[in-house]
Amino acid sequence: MRYEKRSFDLYVRGEIPSGLAGSLVVAASRRHKIRSNFSRWHDSQADLILLDLKPGKPGRVKAQLLSVDPWLRSRNSSPASPYYTSQPNHGLNVKDNILWATNLLFGSPLEVDLTTFKPRRALNAVPVREEAPQRSTTSHFAFDLDRRYAYFHQSLLEQRESVVEAKQLSLVRLDMRSGSERIWQLQPPPGDNRPETHNFHSAFYFEEDGRKFVGLLRTGVIVESLAPHSIAADHEVIPMPASTIWIIELNEDKSTLQAELLGGVEQLGALALSHLDVDASDRQGFILYANYKQADVAEETHGENIYGEKPEDVAEHYSGMIVEPLNLGLMLRYERHNGRTSLKTFKRSYDHRRTSLGHSWLPINIELDRRRTRLFCSFAGFRPRLLPKHIARAYGDLAVDPRAIRYVPPLLMRFNADDLAPDYDAKRTYLSYTEPIAFAVAGDASDEYVCTFSPETGLRMYHSEDLSQVICHAVSPHLMTWQDTHFRPDPAHMVYVHR
Amino acid sequence: MQVLRPSVEGPDFAKLVRQTTEVVAQLEGNRFDFNSLPEFFAKNATADVFAKEIVHVHDGKTLTRYGRLVMGGIGSHFQLMGPIPPNASLRISSTAILDEVNRKLKSKGLNDLREYRALGKAEEVEFYNYEIFYTLRDLAFWLILHQAGSFPSSLEVVVRHMAAGNIVQSNMYAPRKPATNRKKPALMVANGLTVQFKTGVMEWMDKPIFGGLAKDTIHVETLLTTRKSDVSHPYLPLAREGKVEIGERNYFYRRFVGVTPKDGLRGPGVKPENAEDRY
Repeated sequence: MRYEKRSFDLYVRGEIPSGLAGSLVVAASRRHKIRSNFSRWHDSQADLILLDLKPGKPGRVKAQLLSVDPWLRSRNSSPASPYYTSQPNHGLNVKDNILWATNLLFGSPLEVDLTTFKPRRALNAVPVREEAPQRSTTSHFAFDLDRRYAYFHQSLLEQRESVVEAKQLSLVRLDMRSGSERIWQLQPPPGDNRPETHNFHSAFYFEEDGRKFVGLLRTGVIVESLAPHSIAADHEVIPMPASTIWIIELNEDKSTLQAELLGGVEQLGALALSHLDVDASDRQGFILYANYKQADVAEETHGENIYGEKPEDVAEHYSGMIVEPLNLGLMLRYERHNGRTSLKTFKRSYDHRRTSLGHSWLPINIELDRRRTRLFCSFAGFRPRLLPKHIARAYGDLAVDPRAIRYVPPLLMRFNADDLAPDYDAKRTYLSYTEPIAFAVAGDASDEYVCTFSPETGLRMYHSEDLSQVICHAVSPHLMTWQDTHFRPDPAHMVYVHR
Repeated sequence: MQVLRPSVEGPDFAKLVRQTTEVVAQLEGNRFDFNSLPEFFAKNATADVFAKEIVHVHDGKTLTRYGRLVMGGIGSHFQLMGPIPPNASLRISSTAILDEVNRKLKSKGLNDLREYRALGKAEEVEFYNYEIFYTLRDLAFWLILHQAGSFPSSLEVVVRHMAAGNIVQSNMYAPRKPATNRKKPALMVANGLTVQFKTGVMEWMDKPIFGGLAKDTIHVETLLTTRKSDVSHPYLPLAREGKVEIGERNYFYRRFVGVTPKDGLRGPGVKPENAEDRY
């Protein structure tokens, strides 16, 4: 398959701690600098970035960029259709030296050997058909407690009259040792059977009384058009319903598994349940931490904004960029043990008079620390001039009041995992504004770090105890641009791989 | 930022300094939340960088930025600040390099751009009262003492730069005749702001934060390198590239031109952050 690689060193200031002898992997997407060129974010060129860390003062950070042809074509062949095999610009799933990188919604996971940093294959578990030419796959896999198997959903997408429907819902188990796959057909839960909403951004695994389960976050985005718009104009948006969580008990003897709804989730009425971390280590249930973006993530920016400004008058506008939230997001802590459940949420507006309180605007990453006592979360904030009018209109009162809302800066914040309360202290060591949203917790429980990254800001490292002091910063202009293209939007995710 | 108390003088000097010290301690004790000190909010959002013409010279070890900044403002005195690495040297010098590069490239610099010409003629001003801030406390002290104030979201940008080990440089500037009409801000151009620091890679400047007047920034930026480079600008398209001789030295040049949005933009008609509103 066709791919391009490029490598260079970053300029490092500070010290790379000895506990960070490993690599960071980032999934990025690239688009043209000419802002009016329409390019749907999901479909834009994906690049994987590998940052190899060598501890020391200043230490060394070597970057490798890998761009893969999304059609996975051989040389001298051209794409036959707009539907591609793998455009991995979002999720990162790692086991030892193998990475499975995924799109936000479309295509198959791309398997990459991290030792050579070369693509190996796409996980096309469900064969495409002429009438259903594109796959959808869970971006963030579930891993069993022994890290032997990974689980993800895969289905086919079919264009109907006004919406795209998911067909052939399947749960895939990947044996990460042998590379083999087991596939089950999935039966939707009673009461959650709208096929246009059957998309699942993240998955988790847990056990209860010796039984094995996979949970799927049914995000519920509604895609009107499987192919990118031919004209970037206002169009009718079908509002997405509240997200749910499907629970599926694994059964080796069955070919079809029946999903059940996790109680109390749909009743929250929140949108775009997306990312998670889970503590299921006691094999008797789980504590799930997840977030709702409260954004119609199937749509993209084009047309007039909520102020009636035309795209050409808004210099920050990118035609086809991922869309801004409709309103502030929500974080969820759901505990299920011994038949008992408890549910806690965190939702906070941005009060500029008390920035120390943090906010919950567009939550993206969520990751437990090594002791599972604290939770790190990043929030992308809000840029009001990038919310299209035609999307806000579809959601009525759910959307912000344009006259009252302002810019909300991005934020990285540390929470107590027990109660989802921000981990307040007098020195503001628990939060960092204007921070890139991609981060990874690295190191071990006694020597733990948080690394954040965006191509323009570069790589920052913090002790996990103190987000008010950067201990290392590394940058390179080659991360910012690639000739006429640049990396937009900022990458959402990064993972740390210990070597 | 607009500065409402450009100088501190007379018998009140000691009293103002003492009061400001106490206020900053109060602010710090409240985790720099503005609710404890509503008067820390800037009164007016009436100053912006409208355009930048910059020559960056990178020889592989050291980066030198020569800047011509075009600012607009309503009021009599203003402050401009920005982060720089702690090992940087900052000077205001008379340099011919910007004009020399334009002459060699047969360009009028910013005046090549229709958007810039539409702004009208800018009055030449000089930066003065250069300051360096190493802590948020020092910066807050200056902003309060001089009644410049701040906006919380903008201050968080500065907080993050200081956390990353950068310092903040600050300069003042003033037009001969203050503007009072929001539709006709005083347009001022300052030449010769020069920053130099050691770095093995080209490091571009951050986007300016919205100051209430200009949502976008007009750029003409030229990168001069001693070796051929394929470095691109993070926001701007490449306009042209080639070789150029400047001051009897040969350079490779890459020129980037365009308009970029400010950071922290809000919708039209929406007031800046203030003590009364919340969302």
